[in-house]
Amino acid sequence: MSASQTPAVVMDNGTGYSKLGFAGNDAPSWVFPTAIATKAAAGGGSGGGRPAVAQKPSFLTGGAGPSGHLSSKRGTEDLDFFIGDEALNAAKGPGYGIDYPIRHGQIENWDHMERFWQSSIFKYLRVEPEDHYFLLTEPPLNPPESRESTAEIMFESFNCAGLYIAVQAVLALAASWTSSKVQDRSLTGTVIDSGDGVTHVIPVAEGYVIGSSIRSIPIAGRDITYFVQSLLRDRGEPDSSLKTAESIKEEFCYVCPDIVKEFSKYDREPDKFQKYVVDQGAGRKVTVDVGYERFLAPEIFFNPEINSSDFLTPLPEVVDGVIQSSPIDVRKGLYKNIVLSGGSTLYKDFGRRLQRDIRHLVDARIRLSEQRAGTSVRSSGLEVSVITHKRQRYGPWFGGSLLGQTPEFRSYCHTKQEYDEIGPSIVRRFALLGGPGGNA
Amino acid sequence: MLLLEYHNLLIHQILTERFNSPTPASIDQVIPDFDGVIYHISTPDVKTKILVSLSIKCYNDLIRYGAQEVLQREYGSYIVEPESGYDFSLLLDLEALPEDQEQKDDLIRRVSLLKRNAMAAPFERAFDTHYTLSAESSKFTSESAPSSSDTEVMAIQYRDEEAIYIKPSHDRVTVIFSTVFREETDRVFGKVFLQEFVDARRRAIQNAPQVLYRTDPPLEIRGLKGVVDTGAGDVGYVTFVLFPRHLKPDRRDEVISHIQTFRDYFHYHIKAAKAYMHSRMRKRVSDFQKYLNRAKPENADRERKTASGRSFRAQN
Repeated sequence: MSASQTPAVVMDNGTGYSKLGFAGNDAPSWVFPTAIATKAAAGGGSGGGRPAVAQKPSFLTGGAGPSGHLSSKRGTEDLDFFIGDEALNAAKGPGYGIDYPIRHGQIENWDHMERFWQSSIFKYLRVEPEDHYFLLTEPPLNPPESRESTAEIMFESFNCAGLYIAVQAVLALAASWTSSKVQDRSLTGTVIDSGDGVTHVIPVAEGYVIGSSIRSIPIAGRDITYFVQSLLRDRGEPDSSLKTAESIKEEFCYVCPDIVKEFSKYDREPDKFQKYVVDQGAGRKVTVDVGYERFLAPEIFFNPEINSSDFLTPLPEVVDGVIQSSPIDVRKGLYKNIVLSGGSTLYKDFGRRLQRDIRHLVDARIRLSEQRAGTSVRSSGLEVSVITHKRQRYGPWFGGSLLGQTPEFRSYCHTKQEYDEIGPSIVRRFALLGGPGGNA
Repeated sequence: MLLLEYHNLLIHQILTERFNSPTPASIDQVIPDFDGVIYHISTPDVKTKILVSLSIKCYNDLIRYGAQEVLQREYGSYIVEPESGYDFSLLLDLEALPEDQEQKDDLIRRVSLLKRNAMAAPFERAFDTHYTLSAESSKFTSESAPSSSDTEVMAIQYRDEEAIYIKPSHDRVTVIFSTVFREETDRVFGKVFLQEFVDARRRAIQNAPQVLYRTDPPLEIRGLKGVVDTGAGDVGYVTFVLFPRHLKPDRRDEVISHIQTFRDYFHYHIKAAKAYMHSRMRKRVSDFQKYLNRAKPENADRERKTASGRSFRAQN
């Protein structure tokens, strides 16, 4: 069958963005918002005060018009939708409502998700799903029912040749194998996944997520952007829009080893202060000064109190806590392999600072226990290592691409024939891709 | 989205980005397209030279029907020796691009239509044959016209089990698709969908091409190599009869693009129809669930008695 030669399709549908592409490539082909714009009331009833939707000419709807019960429709309304960036544009105009089918990493609206996939596959990726294997991702602790629904759609609607559903954190670990610091390709480690909305710390042992120890932190990319924006506003900069704040965050921010020293360094070296030129359109350009927010913004991961008092535990302490709450026999591996993933971990020296802070916590604890023991026995110490690598931004997607191109990937998938034989419950279990036994 | 795009959106996007960006970057992407077509877009030597390669299953068939000329006409000087493992390659030098933005866009558009243009060759040849035949036959009266059944049928094996057959004649061009369905559901959907095609002419659109659907090989292609009538009916044949009004030179490119994407369009709509059915099923189920939730038993705490008239008492 030809599906065994074509590259596998790798789809990482996240809350904010979907990453779509083909296994073997080093970057996703498409990255766009997981959004769908449909005609009229999105999600039912939200179109209360909206003007009436433009009617289609009757020959397209079979004379029934868009009103009435579903069965009276004989038109093509179900094909009238947009996804991704086009959806955002369409929703600005009249007649379309936008919906985000994934909430908190989990698929909430299956109708919209099915159509989102339909358009992803046929319009953007341009493949016949019958000819390709698919690798999808899921968040940790995804309910098995959700997996089953995904499989129903992929196999029954699209007849895809084979399917593998992998946990994002595990793929992020696999993506870190490209780093030169990683020698043994193990699937044990702590994944720090920081996107736009939320940051997760996920311990993974031998490819299995330790569900009870997962912690999430309400500090992520969006909060940093807001923080930069508030600093700009306080200073009364000529432009303090969210977009400007975001660009400044992405271009100028970095993590410093010590805030106090960094402040005095700024006093001594005035060239640390930079300027950012905003093009406000229509030929108007304003210059925004960029100052302490360069290192203060990412600092809210390490000193959350400078931003808000809702959440006060610094990221290193959370990571340490997660590892301490994991089973004792895997803790060493979890400390040794702390992997970053997601856009908000891209700040320069983020990994280095995190590694130093966690090491301090660990060393302090070891010293304490040595004192308590009171004997002259010295601990040999514990290796703490944070892995930074080039594929961090689309970590889970890249891990999927890496594993999806291995020759044994297809034998880990469930095929259409197996699905027809056993039914949706087949996807409750997958053999561990790239784990022990496989030589990926 | 009613119709599929003819061009590859991703190639279009990559090239637009590269052509308009001042800083060259290295690219190395494998991009599959429908029907087992694989593109490879890369910068093998220097970042300013983009190599676009195409691998297509039926390349030998296409070459036999004149793909070389069509590609030569469309891409001319950009053609280079094919990259190993691929059938056809183009080299775009970012430093030697046309100055004009319009010409640049045109080049991007043409490159992203690579598959379409390669597949267009047999259609173009068939249309040309039709023009010459019809010019010849116009010399005769309708009674004395020579029979035109001796024109060659062009077979393009574009998928493992499916092929396109094209047969030109003096008053029409016949295009036949063979289709295979592995799924029973798909076969049913496909039949309903094709029935719409067959009926379209009858109902509203008078000048649509005639469409026929049958499960045994049509007369035109019976006896050709590779056409076997199993009698099981698992292979369907869809015949399009293009009349001279579809074959006018000014509409020809559009017609070729349309008809090429038929198979993918067909499968896309079967899948879209299934998705639509699923959403209706979900709606129905959630409606039923609402009814069930409303259906509370009336006075549930009625006293129940045994046959002998004694009643149970709840124990605390």
